[in-house]
Amino acid sequence: MIIHQTRSRKIFVVFNYIFMTLFAFVTFYPFWYVFIASLNTGRDFARGGVYLIPRDFTLENYSLAFQNSQIFKSLTISVGRTVLGVILGLLFTALMAYALCIKTLPGRSFFSFFFYFTTIFGGGMVPYYILLRDLGLNKSFWLYVIPSIYNFFNFLIMRTSFAAVPLEIRESAQLDGASEPRILFQLYVPLSTAILATVALFIGVGHWNDWFTGAYYQSRVDLYPAATLLQKLLNEASSTIKVGQETASTGSLQSYTSQSLQMAFVMILTMPIVVVYPFLQKYYVKGIMIGSIKG
Amino acid sequence: MLGTALTTQTTGSFFGKKRADLKKRIWQHRWLYLFILPCVIWLLVFCYYPMYGATLAFKDYSYKLGILNSPWAGLKHFRAFIYSPDFWRVIKNTLVISGLKLLFSFPAPILLALLLNEVQAVRFKRVVQTFSYLPNFVSWVVVVSLMNVIFSPYGGVINDLRKNAGLETIFFMGSREYFYPMVILSDIWKNAGWGTIIYLSALTSVSPELYEAAAIDGAGRLKSTFYVTLPCIKGTIGIMFINAVGGLLNAGFDQILLLQQPDNQLISDILDTFVLKTGLSQGRFEYATAIGLFKSVLSLVLMTLANEVSKRTMEVSIF
Repeated sequence: MIIHQTRSRKIFVVFNYIFMTLFAFVTFYPFWYVFIASLNTGRDFARGGVYLIPRDFTLENYSLAFQNSQIFKSLTISVGRTVLGVILGLLFTALMAYALCIKTLPGRSFFSFFFYFTTIFGGGMVPYYILLRDLGLNKSFWLYVIPSIYNFFNFLIMRTSFAAVPLEIRESAQLDGASEPRILFQLYVPLSTAILATVALFIGVGHWNDWFTGAYYQSRVDLYPAATLLQKLLNEASSTIKVGQETASTGSLQSYTSQSLQMAFVMILTMPIVVVYPFLQKYYVKGIMIGSIKG
Repeated sequence: MLGTALTTQTTGSFFGKKRADLKKRIWQHRWLYLFILPCVIWLLVFCYYPMYGATLAFKDYSYKLGILNSPWAGLKHFRAFIYSPDFWRVIKNTLVISGLKLLFSFPAPILLALLLNEVQAVRFKRVVQTFSYLPNFVSWVVVVSLMNVIFSPYGGVINDLRKNAGLETIFFMGSREYFYPMVILSDIWKNAGWGTIIYLSALTSVSPELYEAAAIDGAGRLKSTFYVTLPCIKGTIGIMFINAVGGLLNAGFDQILLLQQPDNQLISDILDTFVLKTGLSQGRFEYATAIGLFKSVLSLVLMTLANEVSKRTMEVSIF
């Protein structure tokens, strides 16, 4: 396609590039800013003026964050629920998705609707909380795993992917006497690894980021995942800022502030996602397209 | 959106077949029913049972008796909510926040996608996209932490720069007048980039011939955007719009909850945060359930309405 370059077009193109650069900067800078904040001594940072690189470099914030037993415990909870959540979520979603991608299954559309309906109507937070309490989940680690094992969106992505596997593969395997579990795990799963990876990441990121379940449904403070602990620290944010100010002005001997510790904690929570995600971005995009653009 | 995906996949009905035939077919698929079974149990326990539990809104809950045996109380709790001074305040806050988001956050990814689509340098485009998706993958807790540092009155970069320019320090995160701007800005920051994906893919399906034809007819770039590009992606915009309207009463629960501070509570209480406050924090279970139910039903009505309007005006619908 050839479109002659008019003057106004050229101006637009230049402005568009400038705008896009600015946009990328504004998106990324907050992460960078907190990153350098976490690598700067808290007392020095609170004086202001640190914008691009650490001025008073230190790893103290990180070592203190990891030494803090509460933070460390919360990180193990987060890792544990993410790993377990991904394994179980993937397994059970795959079973459901495989069964419902078989078009000859009697009652198939009923089961789909039975699942879909829960995305448009729910009982609300209080009955859900009472249920969790009655099941004893509010005092247990399993609170993070069992209630979130299925998700309609992930199911839809997986079912779409399984449905794309040629039917003849299943038919010929059946003729050879292969059972359904075998067809699923030895044929369908290997043929859908990219989508399984995508769904695994969706589930994993969801678990890693979920702060709400811990904050409102978990009654044992020692079972808080890292995201919930960070939220609880945020609630004391006004006091955090004050600590930053005091140490800056009174010049006490301690070089870190509760804010700088918190920044290290934020980075520990963000880093795994930032590191993993650029590699998997294209799978994500593919996943979201399958899940949403079908109509 | 999801609904269409669902209906496109449903196949013909099985009625009219013989019963014996059906029995045989069910038996043939016994493994598959076994695969479905855990999900059905899970749905019954974690989704359908709480739906039944919503009858709590019409009851006087007693811990000893449980939801099932607690005595009925009619519409008492709904009445209490509708006549309470909080009612209009909470409804208004919810609609104001959603309205602002519909006005500013909804068009943002469309605009961004149109601009991104004009970028010819593939590598540059990909880098910008990579950056723009990133905030979608971190939680609101992290986003609010970032905001707290950046907008901090003590050494935060924004106030620091203001101070150097001779301007006064502003408590962005704490003061009431900055609450709505902060909500909208952070919402756009977190979601606009990711939101472009759907529009960008719709844009790739616009045939280049249409642009050529428009160019031959003398349409400039701006004109062809209005008369070629936008009409071509209006189906996608319509579906996204239905979803946005259906979620009008949500107003972004996580985000509001985390940005809420004592100082802005009057204008930041939305339906969901109010349910949480009255229900889980104050223990007024029936009252909170009534508010939650009120919200769910209203959302369903809104969704249906938006669907109808979109069906009539843009010829797209999700059910």
